[in-house]
Amino acid sequence: MRGMVAVLRLRTVLQVGLLVAVAVLLGGCLIPPEPETTEAKATFGLYIVVLVMAAVVFIGVEGFILYSAIRYRRRDDRLPAQLHGNNLVEIIWTAIPTVIVLVLFVLSISALGTVQAKSDHPAVTVEVDAFQWQWTFRYRDDDNNPDNDYSVTGSAAQPPVMGLPVGVPIRLLLHSQDVIHSFYVPHFLIKKDVIPEPEGQPENQLEFTITQAGTYAGQCAEFCGNEHAAMRFTIQAMEQADYDAWIAAGRAGKSPPPAAPSGAAVVDLSAHNIAFNTNSLQVPADQPFVIRFKNDDAVQHDVAIYDGQTELFKGAIVDAGASFDYSVPAIPAGQYDFICTIHPTMSGKVVAQ
Amino acid sequence: MTAEPMAAVARHLEPPHPEANRGLAIPLVGMLLFIASEVMFFSGLFAAYFNARANAAGHEWGPPAPASELEAWPLAAILTIILVTSSFTMQFGVWAIRRGDQRALRRWVGVTLLLGVLFIAGQLYDYSQLGFGIGDGIFGTTFYTLTGFHGAHVFGGVVGLTILLARASSGQFSAQNHVAVEAISFYWHFVDVVWIALFSILYFLR
Amino acid sequence: MATTTLSPQAESYRRSWVLDWLTTVDHKKIGILYIVNSFLFFFAAGLLALVIRSELAVPGLQFLDAPTYNQAFTMHGTIMIFLFVVPMLTGFANYIVPLQLGAPDMAFPRINALSFWMLPLGGILILSGYLFGGAAAEGWTGYAPLSSNAERFSAGVGTDLWIMGLVLVGTSSILGSVNFITTIFKMRAPGMTLFRMPIFVWTVLVTAVLILLATPVLAAGLIALFIDRNYGGSFFDPASGGNPILWQHLFWFFGHPEVYIVILPAMGVVSEILPVFSRKPLFGYRAFVYATIGIGLLSFSVWAHHMFTTGKVFLPFFAFMTALIGVPTGVKMFNWMATMWRGSISFTTPMLFAIGFITMFLIGGISGVILASPPIDFHLQDTYFVVGHLHYVFFGGSVFGIFAATYFWFPKMFGRRLNERLGKIHFWIHFVGFNLAFFPMHSLGILGMPRRVADYDPNAGWTIYNLISTVGAFMIAASVIPFLINVIATFINGEKVGDDPWEANTLEWATTSPPPPHNFDTLPPIRSERPVFDLRHKHDAEHLHDGEADLVAPEGGQP
Repeated sequence: MRGMVAVLRLRTVLQVGLLVAVAVLLGGCLIPPEPETTEAKATFGLYIVVLVMAAVVFIGVEGFILYSAIRYRRRDDRLPAQLHGNNLVEIIWTAIPTVIVLVLFVLSISALGTVQAKSDHPAVTVEVDAFQWQWTFRYRDDDNNPDNDYSVTGSAAQPPVMGLPVGVPIRLLLHSQDVIHSFYVPHFLIKKDVIPEPEGQPENQLEFTITQAGTYAGQCAEFCGNEHAAMRFTIQAMEQADYDAWIAAGRAGKSPPPAAPSGAAVVDLSAHNIAFNTNSLQVPADQPFVIRFKNDDAVQHDVAIYDGQTELFKGAIVDAGASFDYSVPAIPAGQYDFICTIHPTMSGKVVAQ
Repeated sequence: MTAEPMAAVARHLEPPHPEANRGLAIPLVGMLLFIASEVMFFSGLFAAYFNARANAAGHEWGPPAPASELEAWPLAAILTIILVTSSFTMQFGVWAIRRGDQRALRRWVGVTLLLGVLFIAGQLYDYSQLGFGIGDGIFGTTFYTLTGFHGAHVFGGVVGLTILLARASSGQFSAQNHVAVEAISFYWHFVDVVWIALFSILYFLR
Repeated sequence: MATTTLSPQAESYRRSWVLDWLTTVDHKKIGILYIVNSFLFFFAAGLLALVIRSELAVPGLQFLDAPTYNQAFTMHGTIMIFLFVVPMLTGFANYIVPLQLGAPDMAFPRINALSFWMLPLGGILILSGYLFGGAAAEGWTGYAPLSSNAERFSAGVGTDLWIMGLVLVGTSSILGSVNFITTIFKMRAPGMTLFRMPIFVWTVLVTAVLILLATPVLAAGLIALFIDRNYGGSFFDPASGGNPILWQHLFWFFGHPEVYIVILPAMGVVSEILPVFSRKPLFGYRAFVYATIGIGLLSFSVWAHHMFTTGKVFLPFFAFMTALIGVPTGVKMFNWMATMWRGSISFTTPMLFAIGFITMFLIGGISGVILASPPIDFHLQDTYFVVGHLHYVFFGGSVFGIFAATYFWFPKMFGRRLNERLGKIHFWIHFVGFNLAFFPMHSLGILGMPRRVADYDPNAGWTIYNLISTVGAFMIAASVIPFLINVIATFINGEKVGDDPWEANTLEWATTSPPPPHNFDTLPPIRSERPVFDLRHKHDAEHLHDGEADLVAPEGGQP
């Protein structure tokens, strides 16, 4: 008799153990990316607490259901006791979820305070301008003249890079030119919708303080039309000194150095009077390179590379007087065409060796 | 496939007895529920109107520049009187048939129908005088959507009244059997109430 | 088969069966029409799901371009929700509710037929966009201004057809709900008090109230959308004083109750099946009813939790109300657990799907409570976590409930039971495929993969989860094969099982299978929420074998 009880107990322990193992395994797939802002750390902490609570509820309920299903399976035709209910039990199990959700609510609201905290004087303010289907990041500076601000506009082939310093509060002002987009950085565990605001309405803002230098991928999270999936961007978080150099370079030459992969070959190209300065570009084959493009013209230009009809690369449009470093992916050895897609008469050959 | 003649006869001798005869008649319950859904429909449109108003806080709220006042409001007031009156005439019709007075029912339903048609004609005239359209800013959009959908409901009521009048003329209603008259009257009163809300909000809420 | 003849001469008046089905006002036939129609749309939208999952299996655009992909997920979502899950449950309710109430039909049989016929029409309108330059492609939520500005963002009639189709489908639901509420309040048999109504009827009642009050608001929003697109309106146009967020308020004021419209009747189905196969009454009947009403009431105050990242809603209020909705849901879960506890459980196919429902819906419920926390939602909103969550509710919940109902009530509708062996094969492939398809989506969302993307970064670490999910999706599709074989084989040569094969509790089992056109010849006395159980065990207890004096034995007809 005692032996049987022990066997039953062992089996129960094994079953529960198995469930716990499965739950831990699944839980491992449910951990968010390493949080890289002060705000994200608060969210991460909250999430882990909630995940543990969820796991306890999950194991408890599923375990109970499995146990009942096995223990009380039909063995004969005898009718089990017809239990209709019990008010005390009902009150208890109304109270249990009430307590759980209240705890969750209080924890959430306290974390929300951290996540939504506003600083009086953010160190960097970037205007994020979303449009179908890319981003413009415009860095505000002190001269109150937006024309002098450094800005970068991305393209599908070359998503924009937002350089930011670590350790200081950063504020993003979110504007949309057309439909609703959403600015999302998974490593910051946050997104905020970018909404075309009616006149006079305040724009959405996002504030955070990055804790770790690194490169973080981001993309649009609100479905915004055909090329929604292509609305990607990168945040490059740097130490303050590196950031200062980066933004200074950006403001001076409007071509920020970190955008070029270090060690890549750089070829110069410029445009003037609706013509490129050369009709032949010598580039290395099979490795990425950078076209340092300087637009000395009065109109916009861009650079695209074609293999016959196949587009290999298409760069962002560069405003009159601006410069841009195009990072071009590796192309095999051979001859290709490069053109300005706005002015197809501007063309030349790319020779990759 | 289970039907044998005897069984079928037995079934018809012994129908189930739904407790249908307590409280409101089934069609009236249905009409009230339908009206509840209509209330939610207009609530959605009113919510859009108030949302736009709230967003316009600080700006001028009203029709675009040339017609900066709803100058036709005296006409709207006349329309209001017409529709409110028609609610009364409808109710007189209901009371008449409860007494079994078929002639009075026909008369009152006829008058109500006439007033309904008059309202629609007046509203269309009003539209032609306003000087702004549905595409002229958020006020124009909400104004025409609200009044337009109300007008469409009045038109639905007019169709119902026409059928009612035809049935009344062939003597289909009596003191005991007139649930359709009651149902249409519920709907007509509802349309009237919506108009009163529209009129006070669009023309007088500043 | 279903035209009942009063006398042999009436044979000559029998119309062709096609015309009979097209013009029927019998709630049972309309119910079956609903169910067949819904299954057809289920297969169509399921094919679209396979297209989506195939494209996402690995990164890169394989065989769709972005616009085609966007149309596919928009149609998938719209069809699954509006033309499969809701009408499917409406179909079962149509068939079962009058029977469970002891009523001869619905309150308004002709309006019932009208409600049904609007559905295929609406569905065809929505899908017909494919014939006119492309279906709607703004997602089933159709956010403005993407959907509202036809000139700039969403040219083509696909979106207009989508709007018109949805207005039709919505009108159908509203008329249906008027019919259900009236039927439930006015058509109950003598003795059938409100608190003796089967739980399924209660859930249908609350669902109908939600439809009645929520759907018109969607209709208002859709009409505003149509006016913006076609008549120069500016409801949602920020440039001329409109507000794009208004659409989200109108949509989710409908859309969140819609979630409960989809799940409550499935909960009702499960609450019918668990007691039958545990051979115990539902534990805490009244608590369950109050919890259902509570969910219905709360569902109107939580819509903005879909809008936490818009920055335009008051977070604490909506977070609190949303978390609160976990309480009545938790009460239901405990009641189901207690119903199985110390029961006598047999694992028939309907029972497997019902247990599948409570185990899977639990996951959807937990992930829902997680999403109710605003900071966590800031990370997970609009990612695949939400896609996983909603499929654990809609598929793990409602679709498991739909299959449970199909296996459970099939013998009532046709007098034959679906094959149990094939049913269990169906269940296990379905169950495993479901979890493979949708559990990895939680991981994807937590890692940051946004929803509604045709392509994704190959370096983001998302590929393996996507691949598993695609395998799961094809398993779900494969599970439909044994089901279809089962249905066909059962019609040809299925086991005839009499009127009450499951030894069930509620009134639909007190009549023949299938029931006669007028439903009941005689009704047993109704003294509890389990009149047929009482009848069966009255005989047991009193050792009476001559009970036919005033009662029709539920097994009657096949002695």
